[in-house]
Amino acid sequence: MPRRHRRSAQLAALATGTVLLATACNAAAEKDDSASAATGGSGKSFTLVTPDAVGQNEFLKLAVTGVKSAAKQHDGTQKVYESTDTASQQQNVQAAVDAEPDVVVLVGFEFADLVAQQAEKNPGQQFLIIDACTTKTFKNVSCAVFREHEGVYLAGAEAGLLSKSGKVGAVDVLDTPQFRRYSDPFAAGAEKVAAKTETSTRFVGGQSPFDDSARAKEQANTLLAKGYDQIMAAAAAGNYGVFEAAKAKGAFAYGVDVNQCASAPGTVVDNVIKRTDIAVEKGIETVLGGTTGTTVSYGLKEGGISLTGLEDGVDTSKCVIADHKDVLTKVEALRDQIVSGELKVDDPAAS
Amino acid sequence: MFLDSDLLMSALRALTPILLAALGGALCERAGVFNIGLEGMMLMGCFTSVATSWFTGSPWLGVLAAALAAAAYSLVLAVGAVTLRGDAVVLGIAMNLLAVGLTSFLLRTVFGVQGTFDDPSLAGLPLIGGFTPLAYLSWAAVAVAALLLSRHVWGLRLRGVGEAPDAAATLGVSPAKYQYGAILLSGVLCGLAGAQLALGNVTLFTENMTAGRGWIAVVAVMLGRAAPLGVLLAALLFGLAEAAGFRLQGLGLPQQATDAAPYVVTLGALFLTTARRRRRPRTTGAVQ
Repeated sequence: MPRRHRRSAQLAALATGTVLLATACNAAAEKDDSASAATGGSGKSFTLVTPDAVGQNEFLKLAVTGVKSAAKQHDGTQKVYESTDTASQQQNVQAAVDAEPDVVVLVGFEFADLVAQQAEKNPGQQFLIIDACTTKTFKNVSCAVFREHEGVYLAGAEAGLLSKSGKVGAVDVLDTPQFRRYSDPFAAGAEKVAAKTETSTRFVGGQSPFDDSARAKEQANTLLAKGYDQIMAAAAAGNYGVFEAAKAKGAFAYGVDVNQCASAPGTVVDNVIKRTDIAVEKGIETVLGGTTGTTVSYGLKEGGISLTGLEDGVDTSKCVIADHKDVLTKVEALRDQIVSGELKVDDPAAS
Repeated sequence: MFLDSDLLMSALRALTPILLAALGGALCERAGVFNIGLEGMMLMGCFTSVATSWFTGSPWLGVLAAALAAAAYSLVLAVGAVTLRGDAVVLGIAMNLLAVGLTSFLLRTVFGVQGTFDDPSLAGLPLIGGFTPLAYLSWAAVAVAALLLSRHVWGLRLRGVGEAPDAAATLGVSPAKYQYGAILLSGVLCGLAGAQLALGNVTLFTENMTAGRGWIAVVAVMLGRAAPLGVLLAALLFGLAEAAGFRLQGLGLPQQATDAAPYVVTLGALFLTTARRRRRPRTTGAVQ
């Protein structure tokens, strides 16, 4: 998912923006050495390259947390190179490779091609890509991908339990198997807890499906007009349009990737979140352990996918689910079933 | 039921930004300037309206600022195409590309975020009878533009400039002045279209949020043959096709098919109108 479009904005970020502007010109790499213990005991070093400025982006903030705790665990050092655009992504990857750390960690699909080139040129360098993978397999490229559908299934269960009209729907970006991971399991989750639930999915489509919040809002409106009162918002930047539509009708919505509840408090029930920190930490662990060139999938079991409602801090999350502890108890039970393998969530992208 | 008030409301909401921009495009077309920079001017309007509304707390100031900013931006086309006699198509495309980059850059520098600026306390336009005041304004603008072009001396001269600039010049009507006027007006209208999209249809700014609506407006200008009423009908056709497309998804049609709805309608309408036009005898043209 193009999470770069999902940034909730804070006025506090204004200052950050100005600083960024000042440094953007020469900053191929904004180095963050703050947490690096000058001489790490083990001498292990990790470099994280982000596709965008970390700023208020929770998805990337988590990745930074992950690489920092990995450095702490292994008594090593870490560096964070923040990119601002395609050109700086390239420069940062090059700079990271030149420094020859033990592992270069990269977050996002933006890096798939860049890493493929670098991995071929530098067979001795270990790479770890989070939330994407190279099309070709390399011995020195490890990947971490997520099983989003498991989290979406749980969000669907919440929707099924909370729906008053018995109708739950989803607004998705495009009708492709990969994106259906955000809509089909939502329906399945709702039907699991309330068999008679009616479900429906609308796809934003159009010329720029990821940016068109007005179109996403209209799609949500067609669902709301038919009495759907719980809507999964998986429309990238369109999510904000879906939240607006739901709020206007007094209905409820579900966010993705990060906690989006603050965008529309009282409307957003819960979010399917990706714990990039866990994927980074465990990924580094695996690479250092000598297992490289593999793709590891993170879901509920590994703690890589979760709901805001199932994490710490739910009471201050501004999410509606915080007021429905009874629902959370049932959802936790379902999670445990999925974790133990007793319950299997169909993956629309599996073929 | 398929045709109901929800469908109509949805179509009319989709209509407003396209109609405002298309009216601006029609004025330029009549003045002999092919304006395909509508998308970019609209996007400038989107950003300016959101930024102004956020910092002043007033969506009305946002609308005003959007109109002014887009008009200022339209000067690129006016100076480039009229004064410097550059290619309007090249300029229009450049303006569209620049607007995407410029607004994304401003989004980062002004708000410090990338992708989307959204805040629950951002003030949007009020709704009267389900529509923003700009929607009513857009309908009134159709009537005003129609009257202007058919009855008012300014509109008649504008058309004269478009159809025969040399003849207009010999009569003491400065083509450049009228073309500047038309382009600036199209800037104002596109600014309003952007404000409608960013403070009316939704209340937020997203990079490239116009998502091709400016291009649809360009097609509406062609389809409506740059006549205000024709443009209204063409834009309404798009609005209805889009709303109906959403509805068809609910009936189980795949997204890829419903996505094509507005374009199928365009092709159909273009085919029908040109077929009719070709059959009409063209003898009157020689006399005029």
